[in-house]
Amino acid sequence: MAETSTYETVIGLEVHVQLATQSKAFCADDAAFGAAPNTHISAISLGHPGTLPKLNEKQVEFAIRLGHAIGSEINANNSFDRKNYFYADLPKGYQLTQDRAPICIGGKVAIKGSNFNKEIRIHHVHMEEDAGKSIHDLDPKHSLIDLNRAGVPLLEIVTEPDFRSPEEVDVFMTTMRQLVRYLEISDGNMEEGSLRCDVNISLRKKGAAEYGERCEVKNVNSMRFARQAIEFEVKRQANILNAGGIIKRNTLNFDPATGVTSPLREKEDANDYRYFPAPDLTPLELSSEFIEKIKTNLPPLPAVLYQQFTKDFALSEYNANLLTQEKAVAFFFLRLSEQSKNYTGIANLLINKVIPFANEQKINISEFPLSAKALTDFVQLIEDGKVSSSLAYQRLFPALIESPDASPLALAEKLNMIQDGDDDFVSDLVDAAIANNPDKVKAYQSGKKNLIGFFMGEIVRASKGKADPKAVNALLRDKLS
Amino acid sequence: MPKYSKLTSIQNDLLSANLSCAELVEHYLSNIEKSQSLNVYIEVFEAEAREKASALDAKLKEGVEKPGRLFGMVISIKDVLCYEGHEVTGGSKILTGFKSLYSATAIERLLAEDAIIIGRVNCDEFAMGSANENSYYGPTINALGENKVPGGSSGASAVSVQTDTCLAAIGSDTGGSVRQPAAFCGIIGMKPTYGRISRYGLLAYASSFDQIGTLTNSVEDAAILLEVMAGADEFDSTVSRQSVKPYAGLKSESKKRKIAYFKNTIESDQLDSTIQSATFDYIEKLKAEGHEVRGLDFEYLDYLIPAYYVLTTAEASSNLSRYDGVRFGYRSADTRSLAETYRKSRTEGFGDEVKRRIMLGTFVLSSGHYDAYYTKAQKVRRMISDNIQEVFKNYDFIVMPVTPDVAWSIGENDADPIKTYLADVYTVLANMAGIPAISFPLGVKDGMPFGIQVMSPAFQEDQLLNFIFTQHQ
Repeated sequence: MAETSTYETVIGLEVHVQLATQSKAFCADDAAFGAAPNTHISAISLGHPGTLPKLNEKQVEFAIRLGHAIGSEINANNSFDRKNYFYADLPKGYQLTQDRAPICIGGKVAIKGSNFNKEIRIHHVHMEEDAGKSIHDLDPKHSLIDLNRAGVPLLEIVTEPDFRSPEEVDVFMTTMRQLVRYLEISDGNMEEGSLRCDVNISLRKKGAAEYGERCEVKNVNSMRFARQAIEFEVKRQANILNAGGIIKRNTLNFDPATGVTSPLREKEDANDYRYFPAPDLTPLELSSEFIEKIKTNLPPLPAVLYQQFTKDFALSEYNANLLTQEKAVAFFFLRLSEQSKNYTGIANLLINKVIPFANEQKINISEFPLSAKALTDFVQLIEDGKVSSSLAYQRLFPALIESPDASPLALAEKLNMIQDGDDDFVSDLVDAAIANNPDKVKAYQSGKKNLIGFFMGEIVRASKGKADPKAVNALLRDKLS
Repeated sequence: MPKYSKLTSIQNDLLSANLSCAELVEHYLSNIEKSQSLNVYIEVFEAEAREKASALDAKLKEGVEKPGRLFGMVISIKDVLCYEGHEVTGGSKILTGFKSLYSATAIERLLAEDAIIIGRVNCDEFAMGSANENSYYGPTINALGENKVPGGSSGASAVSVQTDTCLAAIGSDTGGSVRQPAAFCGIIGMKPTYGRISRYGLLAYASSFDQIGTLTNSVEDAAILLEVMAGADEFDSTVSRQSVKPYAGLKSESKKRKIAYFKNTIESDQLDSTIQSATFDYIEKLKAEGHEVRGLDFEYLDYLIPAYYVLTTAEASSNLSRYDGVRFGYRSADTRSLAETYRKSRTEGFGDEVKRRIMLGTFVLSSGHYDAYYTKAQKVRRMISDNIQEVFKNYDFIVMPVTPDVAWSIGENDADPIKTYLADVYTVLANMAGIPAISFPLGVKDGMPFGIQVMSPAFQEDQLLNFIFTQHQ
């Protein structure tokens, strides 16, 4: 076991976001994921002789959307460079990227966890194109190449080395996924590689001002792997440092099967990428109108909605967090909030019933069968004490799903669910429960106060759910004392 | 059949039924046959050209459908231009057997106006060379001198026009590759403004210098070809959106022009004395015609070639990375790893000059050398470009020799590639500054022609063409 407690872990990320544009970054090929291999290709994405890139303007718009959302300065005069290296899935022998003049500069992203609440500084965001995919494990003798992904637009978000734990990385990635989905610039799907990151890890003695030498773990495509890779690296580097060794800057590969990182290449034979200005693409000159228009059209962001939900609607942090995870859910909540001020009731209904139902049925919440009015009426029935919440949730809600056009009140009446607050009715039930359970009454009176729950259960069951629990509770306590 | 030197003559004869497209194509095909020893064509599109000629004859005869503006124009294309369904190899072994999936924008526009493409001609490998000696298909020979080079890299394009195997040739000019062979072969070579004609479908040598150009017998043909090929193209982001002027409407003008020449380009002892005195004679002629001609100093002359070769080889080293034996073209047999596939395919597939330039370009872009070479050369380019803009504030045109001497003998410069590089000194300026330039014949020395070139500000091809047209009246 490596002694790691004397070190501080320092982590920086390079996050790659695959953009959900219709076509590729520099040609008209379909950019969608999941097609049969080598079907989304053309002379241009194959790097055929004489072909030239033509910038997809959507990519620029998406980059600016993200830039605005994280408070970057939008670089009106940005440009592309060529990053030269040979690989079988890189058709042109170079990648078009932004080395000198990226589109977004600076910015920050707030992250919050059980023991941290901080801002991660963003160094810059640049546009680039993805490479194809090399598949080494499908054929014993050959590597297979799928170029569908070659040329798909990416944003690379480069952070400052502001992370101190895998938990922070985890929250950051989750936040980024949420953000790109809100902005509708990516599906943020890590399994399909739409969101992935390279992790730069170094250690330094606690209190030291200088950063240690770092190692970069490439292409981590799940949160679990990111955590495992970081934990492994921290131990590996601590072991070396504890033994008096030095860390060599290295690019590492993480093997999820073994949980081990191993060198991809040593710095000695590292690629010299020979960046130079891409001569086939003229530098971009973005007008301030264009940049501002994108800002104006930005959707409400999750952090802003969270504030609104906790402050204006007085939701619990837990509920606000759940309801702002997905834009569709948050917007659904906002729609209901326009019809009813019972915000907590709406939140509970969404969290306990509507969201689980949508998930089960695999439908978007916006396609939920009940109208906003039906849902708010439903909440109001509970609020007014007309139907007990347990009866409403367990029986009225499923019945409403079956008859989505019915009014909740009419249906509750039809199903005989209207709660009876009538004194005699409740009083009779209470008396009966007391009469039927003399031992429990004695026990209660001798101090076992939690038996109140037992009596409540008996009475509510006997009433077939129609007795108002509040009235029952008050009367019980009165009669038992 | 007499040699036609311009399209309008051909079109007149076609319209008066003194000539048919079929006869014209047969005439050119027989000349191709006769000039085989010069090694001009890599591939002759014989059947296709005949078919198109008869279709066009039928169209003319029926008179229902209007023929395209280039009817009767038979052209050769340099082996760096993509033509759908046809091989394109860049004169290189590494692309042997490669067929293009699409046509270059310029080619599409020519075909749309009823031009007939008669074949694909030789060139220096990936347009790298000044003598057409660096081709996988062997050297092309200048028809005017025994064993003389035709210039390069569009050497065979020039010979294809010189030997009347077609009316015009479409080439490419990165540092003089159209103008210099035109001068060596006694015809007219035009390099338009950078970005005037789409580069989509032109095999890239140095992307920020490359421009498609024409080799013709007449200024008129250069003008109409430019008018057809020029203009915006959604497949090339560097092509200009400036409107295409009616270049073909040439007029003899009486306008008196302000013309500059750089004294040190002509007074140089590097310039052959015959060419030198012919150039001075030309300047005197211009003055006699009433133009204002002034000699200026050009302080960057010595930096032209070094900066040009640093920048073009840098871009070339990256542009040629795609020829890796993985997806198309030549792949070395019997390789055991990806790295070996790259190494062997490229070692066996590229010729010496291409390898030399890839290595040079890789070197100047490598970390540690980048600023000393690439960055500095970029600055030089900017200074030269600014300097030329300055000159054009006061002058309409710049005149300059095209070559320091006439065509040399095949193999003469093999041992000293630098000597060949230095021969580009007069032509690279237009590419460095991105301006248009036209070279046309000026004289003959020992039976070999030489030329002179006139340059204008960017996108003033109309002025330039009219001026040279007037000169030739």
